[in-house]
Amino acid sequence: MKKSLLLSLAVAFVASQTGMALAANPDTGPGCGLGKLAWGDFKNQKNIAPQVLMATTNGTFGSTTFGISSGTSGCTNDGQVWAEIKDTMFAGVNFDSLAQEMAQGEGEHLASLATLMGVPAEHHPEFFVMTQERYNSLVQAGEESPKAFVRSLNEAISGHPVLAKAVVTK
Amino acid sequence: MNPRRTRFLNRCQLFLLGLLGVGLFALCTPSKVRADGATYADELAERARALQLADAPEWQDLLHYRRTLAGGYESLQDDPRFFMSPEGKTNPEAELGATLRAFFSQDLVGKSKQPAQCAFVARYHWLRDQLEFDDARLLPIPCPRFDRWFAEFDADGISMIFPAGFMNNPSSMFGHTFLRIDQRGQTPQTRILAYTINYAADMPPDAGIEYPIKGIFGGYKGLFSTVPYYLKVQEYRDIEHRDVWEYRLAFTPPQIRRLLMHAWELGNAEFDYYFFGENCSYHILSLLDVADPQLRLTDRFPFYTIPSDTVRVLMEIPGLVSEVSYRPSRSTVVRRKREAMSGEERAWLGRLIEQPVLGKDAEFEALPVKRQAFVLDTVSDYLLLRSDALGGKDNSWKQRNRAILGARSALKVRSPEFEIEPFTQRPDYGHGTQRVGVGAGWRNDQAFEEFNFRGAYHDLLDPDPGYTPDAQIELVNVAIRHYHNESQARIERFSPANVISLSPMDSLFHAPSWKISVGMDTIKYGGCALCSNGNLNGGMGAAFETRWLRREVFFAMAEVDANYSKAYEDNYRVGGGGTVGVLANVTERWKLLATTTYLKYPLGDHSDDVRWMVGQRYTISQNFVARMEYHHREHDNDVLFTFQAFY
Repeated sequence: MKKSLLLSLAVAFVASQTGMALAANPDTGPGCGLGKLAWGDFKNQKNIAPQVLMATTNGTFGSTTFGISSGTSGCTNDGQVWAEIKDTMFAGVNFDSLAQEMAQGEGEHLASLATLMGVPAEHHPEFFVMTQERYNSLVQAGEESPKAFVRSLNEAISGHPVLAKAVVTK
Repeated sequence: MNPRRTRFLNRCQLFLLGLLGVGLFALCTPSKVRADGATYADELAERARALQLADAPEWQDLLHYRRTLAGGYESLQDDPRFFMSPEGKTNPEAELGATLRAFFSQDLVGKSKQPAQCAFVARYHWLRDQLEFDDARLLPIPCPRFDRWFAEFDADGISMIFPAGFMNNPSSMFGHTFLRIDQRGQTPQTRILAYTINYAADMPPDAGIEYPIKGIFGGYKGLFSTVPYYLKVQEYRDIEHRDVWEYRLAFTPPQIRRLLMHAWELGNAEFDYYFFGENCSYHILSLLDVADPQLRLTDRFPFYTIPSDTVRVLMEIPGLVSEVSYRPSRSTVVRRKREAMSGEERAWLGRLIEQPVLGKDAEFEALPVKRQAFVLDTVSDYLLLRSDALGGKDNSWKQRNRAILGARSALKVRSPEFEIEPFTQRPDYGHGTQRVGVGAGWRNDQAFEEFNFRGAYHDLLDPDPGYTPDAQIELVNVAIRHYHNESQARIERFSPANVISLSPMDSLFHAPSWKISVGMDTIKYGGCALCSNGNLNGGMGAAFETRWLRREVFFAMAEVDANYSKAYEDNYRVGGGGTVGVLANVTERWKLLATTTYLKYPLGDHSDDVRWMVGQRYTISQNFVARMEYHHREHDNDVLFTFQAFY
């Protein structure tokens, strides 16, 4: 646990460096021009995604500079998702589907989140059973924030006899 | 500026500052190198001319050239920074020469501000292969930004994704296409994590009434994006209720790499977005052409590109599509699951939606656990669908869903396996979108022959496979008749647009049905036997469906109607009324439409009108049908038999 905390701090530091470096560069990269548009567009349909992105990027990078200057929270200048927030962003955007699939004990969103969190495919069934069992507390965390949700999931994994050993830290 | 010179100077400056002295400067003066760069660029340009590379399909595709009517070339690309030569937009040869010269430079070019070798990485690699660049004389420049971007896709395959048409948004009525870059090691469970390449108009968020006009005449910019597939799934499955079809394409790794290299170049691009011509489907095809220059897909769509037509074209190419999969929309899921329920389960479905606490009711818990799970899953699907439709504004649906899922998780079982069958068949099983017909008939006592043509797309009587059920979109529909008795040929009907959307209602789904049309037809009125009549009609109502024969949809609409013709007193009449009708699939090939309408016109020519019609279609093959239509108005009877072909 301590190790992973250290690791995530290191990752956050590196990410913030990259973030700042790219923030100085105006948003001119291929794809990202519309990466931005896609987020904007998405806002019309449903409000959670941009909010999640704003919340997670602010949370991760500890300042609003990056989100505002590049205009593409959660998105690199070349239009892709920051590796460090992939799971949080996915969890936030798809929370309704995830809650449903956790209650049902399986599903593609749940399998995808498990994959992003480093759970190997052969251990997805255990992951599914665990999330169904802990449904109530996980949903509670999820309603607080995507970060809290992912944190609870990570805690649940580290407390699980099989999953704790199986998870591959990326 | 010469690239070598820049590089050498930079190194030189380091030396000067860090270590030595002025003496080394002479060594670094790169006059020889510069001369060689210039000569080698000329040499390459000369070889390219000899090989006629500027005329090669690969070059034409990479620069998006199309032949002009005058016999020249013009690129569809509208950002000048996409070209290395000032004449690049219209001169493939000059562009090729300028591109070769630019490869010798480290200068940042294009909208994405990179050295030319990196900004236009597909051009570089194609020319490198064709001209066998000598890396010692034309130094390859590292492109870490591209490499990072490319690695992030972890590409293992390409799928063309087709969300079906969506009637309640003019921009998506015809469906949409985009690419998914399938990841290495992806499973059916994790494919939502893959990135997509999507081309869409850059519209302001509040685009409203001006959308169709700007969309048709190129008033918007089109841009490419790479959002994760899960966002698109959410958009289509959850919010717009559109079924999605996924066509996996059999591309080789080099082809996939070429496609992505060109997609990277298109980050520098800016196209004018034309709703019918240069739309999402056209540009997606152009990417596939780059992947495999043998395909020549865009050549098949010189005027306009309708997404479902492009899917049919892919299917026509032997071996190109390796797998087709289906992703149901949430509303399809709810409907199919409800069909599979017993009467008792269906009653619980309705009650649980209203009172989620009943999920823990002893009577409900008397059902077998697997069936409880099935009912609760369906209730949750429905509640999510309702809450998504409101964009999360009304929390009560969310709260109900939470209660249901609480009960569902307590069952501690997995959901029973349940395969969702689509209501609509695959889009590539559909008829072509253009239609021509020849026929004959009688109007009152006059015999005639008729030729008819429709630019696009589908009407209520056309064969159902592949199209949104109970929806009609007709664009540019014209019929020309020759009447025997009067020996006259006339335009019998012309309609730029005629749209009908029937949405059967039931206890769970409540969308209204509607229609709108504009055009001219021919009437018999007053003293005029064959009079042209301009008309405008719109209506709103409701539909419901039965399964007596195969499937029947009954509908009723209130409508307004305006006519303009010299046959009327004051040349016009405006009024309203209503239509009731039925649309029935009698057998798999035989479909019937019958309607009756009453309209009263209090404005202009005071009059009323009783109309009825019966139309029937018999499918001969995917693209060939026979039709019989009978239209009645007061003192005016019209019978028409036609054979129609789709293409």
